[in-house]
Amino acid sequence: MDMDISNIDTSAIDRMSDRDKQELQQFLQNEGQKARIQASIHSLTDTCFKKCIAPGAVKKGPLDKHEEPCMRQCVDRFLDGNLVVLKELEKLRGM
Amino acid sequence: MDSSGAAGLSAFSNADPKTQIMRQIQQQGAMQNARMLVEKLNQHCFERCVPKPGTSLSSGEETCFTTCMEKYMQAWNTVSKQYVARIQKEQQGGGLL
Repeated sequence: MDMDISNIDTSAIDRMSDRDKQELQQFLQNEGQKARIQASIHSLTDTCFKKCIAPGAVKKGPLDKHEEPCMRQCVDRFLDGNLVVLKELEKLRGM
Repeated sequence: MDSSGAAGLSAFSNADPKTQIMRQIQQQGAMQNARMLVEKLNQHCFERCVPKPGTSLSSGEETCFTTCMEKYMQAWNTVSKQYVARIQKEQQGGGLL
């Protein structure tokens, strides 16, 4: 994710204590991870909504007894698939 | 959320620079997340609710948008919970990777 830091006063960072700089760096790392997780959630919701919510007009009301488990399973199977891909690539690398 | 930038900045101008920077970054992250959700909502609900765009948005189409948005946000919440639970499980299990 691109963060717009153009309007942050960088000279203020130069004047910070080492401890503050370190704290800031840790904070940035955490925020970066948070942003990546949020991006994954958006992408997964996008993919799974297409699969789990019947095509055409959306039914009124909360997620029904098919939609809800479908969404959850979709997340888990997508991540399983991701692991399969990684494992397979790892195997290829060892050949 | 107020439009970040100027308004957001002046409100914290007397806080120390570190806190100020953290605030700004946090705000931008939240903004990015919200923007993404709006984009996805629009994309999915337009696709489903307006198959043939007419001269104006009908009341039926508008109702469909409301229903669709509600559904999508619920789906988002479900995915969010499931995904975070999975990450936590994998971290505890020493990671499957």
